[in-house]
Amino acid sequence: MAKPVVIVVGADKGGVGKTTVSRTLLDYFSANNVPTRAFDTESPRGTLKRFHPELTEIVDMTATADQMKIFDTLNSGTPSVTVIDVRAGLLSPALASLRDIGFLDAAKAGQITFAVFHILGPSIASLDEIAETANFMQGAKYFLVKNFINNTSFFEWDQATYNSYFHRIKDATELTIPKLNEMAYEQVEVASVPFLKFVANKGTHDEAANYSFVLRGYVRHWLANVWSEFDRIKLTDLVGAGKSGARGEK
Amino acid sequence: MATTPVYIICSPRPLVGKTLIARLLCEFLLLKNGTVNAFDINLKEPSLLEYLPRVTETAEVDNTFGKMQLMDRLIVNDAVAKVIDLGFHAFDEFFQMSEEIGFMKEAARRGVSPVILFVADTDRASARGHTMLQQKIPKTHLVTIDNEFVVRGELPRAMAVGRVVRIAALPVFLKTYIDRLTFSFTNYLRNEKDTSTELHQWIRENYFSFRELELSLMLQRS
Repeated sequence: MAKPVVIVVGADKGGVGKTTVSRTLLDYFSANNVPTRAFDTESPRGTLKRFHPELTEIVDMTATADQMKIFDTLNSGTPSVTVIDVRAGLLSPALASLRDIGFLDAAKAGQITFAVFHILGPSIASLDEIAETANFMQGAKYFLVKNFINNTSFFEWDQATYNSYFHRIKDATELTIPKLNEMAYEQVEVASVPFLKFVANKGTHDEAANYSFVLRGYVRHWLANVWSEFDRIKLTDLVGAGKSGARGEK
Repeated sequence: MATTPVYIICSPRPLVGKTLIARLLCEFLLLKNGTVNAFDINLKEPSLLEYLPRVTETAEVDNTFGKMQLMDRLIVNDAVAKVIDLGFHAFDEFFQMSEEIGFMKEAARRGVSPVILFVADTDRASARGHTMLQQKIPKTHLVTIDNEFVVRGELPRAMAVGRVVRIAALPVFLKTYIDRLTFSFTNYLRNEKDTSTELHQWIRENYFSFRELELSLMLQRS
């Protein structure tokens, strides 16, 4: 049986695009035929669940019962990949909980593949989270995600500040999410469908939709760029699946 | 399935004759098909809208809403030819956006046939613009317009590669005559009894060039 994979997407700061990145991950795995389930910790109303209702369950990560729902089922077979969209402010406490229940030790021992996508905002407060989160990252794949969806910058203009955050953690891998046209982003929000369905001009129940060709084009172009970043970090290899040949068609 | 041609008349330079060519092409298509949809993205120069207000609407590509209004119409295979008079200020933005949204690929999929009519000039901006188009546009969809009034018989060699449509220069007094807002090329052909006039022959020559261009596109598709 394939080793279970847990991907945590989170940040302590709000509004940095955690759910957007989670959505691109679910679309990426779907296009690569990787069976995936997702947990949305934005209880009681989850944004991720709105876009991927079939895959997503809303949980309260601070409740023991819901922790059991996520982690006690990891070895129960397919789907082997679990994506957890951790709501704002909960990343550090969630990682502490994982340490307490012995999950991080299991990851360190190689029983579980564990990856953290730490979504960063353009503030010192957000960058300060890196050092805090890095303490939990032994045995995990740690990705620092610079999300440009809000047309932001990450102190690249001040090399000393930039290096002090991005080059301090040795094993962290940087990832860039490019900017998506605002109107295209809003239209997908209104449609409440995965990015893939929007590009394919489909509605919630796979019915034909009538989205703008221009906006679909922008989303397709942007999604291709995001996925090329996932390809660059060999995400399918990380989750133990070869890259699907049928992806382009999809 | 019948395809819908979309003619995009463009140049990164002002005052090279884009609107003149758009007018000629619109009138040719109106004469041949009885219908055409023209889009004027050229409001900083002499405007197609002023010459052919009944078939022309304004469009813009400097904001997403304007792009949607334009491109969502262009991508429809409705058998009505489209003509776009693309102003020099919108040249880069239009083709960058077209590439980003995959306009050429989607057009091919839907049976829409874009034809880029690049109006040549001898300056560096034109050379750069033409090179950019050669990289982005399949060569069967890229046509260079050699407007003699602009390039004076010195069409850059790089632009002479591929299909070229030549527009002969008119004497200045005739140029002034056809620049009047009320002037119609087709009406002139219909009403001028003397078919040997320079203007009569000039219009017929250009209509013939467009007809040939259309035929070559049909042959390519078949």
